Amino acid sequence: MNGEITMHQRDRTVDGLALGSSRRTASRFPWAMHASFLTALSAFRRRTLLLIVALHLSVCVLAVCAEPSIAGFEAANKLYGQGKFADAAAAYEKLIQSGEVSAALYFNLGNAFFKAGQFGRAIAAYDQAGHLAPRDPDLRANLQFARNQIQGPTLAPSAWQHWLATLSLNEWTLLAAFLVWLLFLVLAVRQWRPAWKRPLRFTVLSLAVAAGLSCACLAASLGQTRLLRTAIVVTRDVGVRHGPLDESPTAFTVHDGAELRVLDQKDEWLQVSADPRRIGWLRRQEVVVQ
Amino acid sequence: MTKLLLFFRAVARSCGTTRLRLACALAGSVLAFGTGALGASFTASLDRDTVTLGESLTLSLTFSGGAPENPPALPAIRNLQIDYVGPSSQFSFINGQVSSTVTHNFTVTPRQAGEFTIPAVTAEVAGAKLATQPLKLKVLAPNAPPPAAVAAGNEPAFMKLVLPRKEIYMGDTMLAELQLYVRSGVRFGRLQLTGFPADGFNVGKMAEGQRRQMQVGNAIYTVIPVSIALNPVKTGALNLGPVTATLVIEVPSSNRRRDIFDPFGMFGNTEEKQVSLATETEALRALPLPTQNSPPNFNGAVGSYSLSVTAGPTNVAAGDPITVRVQISGRGALDALTLPAQAGWEDFKTYPPTTKVETSDGFGLQGTKTFEEVVVPQSAEVNALPPISFSFFDPDQKAYRTVTQPALPLVVRPSASAQAPVVTQGGRRQDTPPPAQDIVDIKQHLGAMVPVGPPLVQQPWFLAVQSVPVLAWISTLVWRRRVESLANNPRLRRRRQVAQILREGLVELRRLATENQSDAFFATLFRLLQEQLGERLDLPASAITEAVIEEHLRPRGGAEPTWAPLQELFQTCNLARYAPFKSSQELAAIITKFEAVSHQLQSLEL
Repeated sequence: MNGEITMHQRDRTVDGLALGSSRRTASRFPWAMHASFLTALSAFRRRTLLLIVALHLSVCVLAVCAEPSIAGFEAANKLYGQGKFADAAAAYEKLIQSGEVSAALYFNLGNAFFKAGQFGRAIAAYDQAGHLAPRDPDLRANLQFARNQIQGPTLAPSAWQHWLATLSLNEWTLLAAFLVWLLFLVLAVRQWRPAWKRPLRFTVLSLAVAAGLSCACLAASLGQTRLLRTAIVVTRDVGVRHGPLDESPTAFTVHDGAELRVLDQKDEWLQVSADPRRIGWLRRQEVVVQ
Repeated sequence: MTKLLLFFRAVARSCGTTRLRLACALAGSVLAFGTGALGASFTASLDRDTVTLGESLTLSLTFSGGAPENPPALPAIRNLQIDYVGPSSQFSFINGQVSSTVTHNFTVTPRQAGEFTIPAVTAEVAGAKLATQPLKLKVLAPNAPPPAAVAAGNEPAFMKLVLPRKEIYMGDTMLAELQLYVRSGVRFGRLQLTGFPADGFNVGKMAEGQRRQMQVGNAIYTVIPVSIALNPVKTGALNLGPVTATLVIEVPSSNRRRDIFDPFGMFGNTEEKQVSLATETEALRALPLPTQNSPPNFNGAVGSYSLSVTAGPTNVAAGDPITVRVQISGRGALDALTLPAQAGWEDFKTYPPTTKVETSDGFGLQGTKTFEEVVVPQSAEVNALPPISFSFFDPDQKAYRTVTQPALPLVVRPSASAQAPVVTQGGRRQDTPPPAQDIVDIKQHLGAMVPVGPPLVQQPWFLAVQSVPVLAWISTLVWRRRVESLANNPRLRRRRQVAQILREGLVELRRLATENQSDAFFATLFRLLQEQLGERLDLPASAITEAVIEEHLRPRGGAEPTWAPLQELFQTCNLARYAPFKSSQELAAIITKFEAVSHQLQSLEL
């Protein structure tokens, strides 16, 4: 431990120019690890040594890349703490535009929008967070709380959709892939050891059923998240019109945060439905399409 | 050029056969097209010069004797929408006279009543500039037909806008009825609303009602009612209409010919005609809600409603949730209804309600809105849910009304785990409102970052990896089939075993030749010959000797050159037992000879 601290301080003097003030908030672990690795290198053969150095450098590069995100995240949290919710939301959005996201980032963005009174954008952000951390209880509570604030017509997710959302699309994908791998590996084992065919019959049957069900769930989840598009209203009150024209009469009114199923698109207009009886058109800039 | 055309026509007339005439005429016409705008003309026409607002008409720009490559551009005319439809061409050949026309059609839709002039349109045909004459267009404002014509039953179709009342309060919704009258026996279709001036109104849903028959004057009409939900967005005098529409009806054809099978014109001979319909302008007054006698908890609801409240469970421990269901039923804008803030809920922790609207009509104006709210009694002193009241303005009675549901009795037991309630001086916590339910606070840790990108299932590398277990299974399946095939075919199995023995034996032979170990070399060679011949003749390897050539191979046929080297090899092996020494080069030459013999034996059909 002492050695790590000493080496960390030495690195600080060397790398201080490059890293600047963000070093204070950066993760210290990789630089301490860097020192430990340098001292331990001599114990390995040349090829192993090169491999270890490459791995170690990649970890260090990742840590350096993550530093601005952590600093930006903490700065945005600070703005949120000061009650500057719109500024905090802008800061979180800037981080998202960097190309890497996390569930916490979307969660905090949702909170910032919610506190700024933008329920629609808050729900959209929570929804994005849900794709990354579908079983986060905080996220579920906030999403439900935000949805409870919505007045007027909105899509009500069914119990089946709720259940499907307990796993993210990637989790359904990995589950289905795992079961399919397992099924085919057991089938391969049965070919390799014909004597095991009979004992493995029930296993194969169970795995086939499980793999089929998981693939069906994956298809349903893919349909829910990728094929069926949802429009979330982000302006205060929007008149949904009978046709894709400004002159077209208003069919019904939806409010900020209302979730609508996108049925069709024509130029800058989207055909949406809140339920089978409420179908109409609204402008694309009035909603966020997920 | 004209002379040339006349020449072709003269030749066409003088030609004896029809084919020749046609060929000459075609040649002339092709020449005429190719030479461009000789005698070309350019005209513009409208299919009619007077229309009613809401109707469309066709503008045709016709080129004769030559046409430009692109349709001519029309200038923008205010309040006239002109859309290009497409070209049509005509080629006629009558008595040797060839003529061709190209017509570019445009749809003209007026946006305002009045007189319009479509200016001269210019086009360039083969270097010559052509221009049309300006066209006049008169657009009439839509008017309802005169009452006398309606009463006489002369109109094949007309339209009326019926309002249930001439006054409407802000926030109220009125169902106007647009009635389409079509005289009995007139076939009709394609009704299209072309204008619904409703300044100051929010036009809601439209729904067609039940058709009915009605006598108007001396004629029977089919009435098609269309109900339209309207709610005012500003106060004062407002006008509605004239609502305009177009309808296609079938009328007897004006240029019908006499048909010997239908002398009375009973079967068909009708043509479609588009008629413009318009209603009278209806005036009505939008009134603001009265400011006097407005209840304190009035929150803008307009209509006629009733209130019912249920709650459950009513026997709970302090801190347990109770679901309160408030149902507001009646007529009005149910979507916009909100539950007003209620007094007397200080002893409860309340959560935002969830809402559900169930409507019984197509306009969402009649039905029930249900608010479900979870409340939690904070102490065992609570013995009832406070009364719930809801105020609204009733436009029929032109007065505010308040409906109240009395307090619901509750039994609240002290909670075993609950802390003793903090009793303030006043005995009730009037100054401390119940803590507001809020969202969970932000997260302090960024967590694992993932790149933004398509999900795994849409990434090609992931899909490619999924083929690995399938390929593994297929590989084992093929391997198993192969193993089983070998198990059921002993000759094939032996052939493969012998091939393996030969491969290893050749390596051994080369090593022995290099090391000049003559005894071992010939022993190995003899063993390999036995294995090879044994496999080919399906005999045990130990039973193979030189005599086998005479006993088994020669009787089975085959060329002498095949057996001679084999016999020579056997003899060399036998000789080597008595004169074993050979040089490495000689041994290597024997290996080559053995390889050739072995190859020949393998290719033989024995």
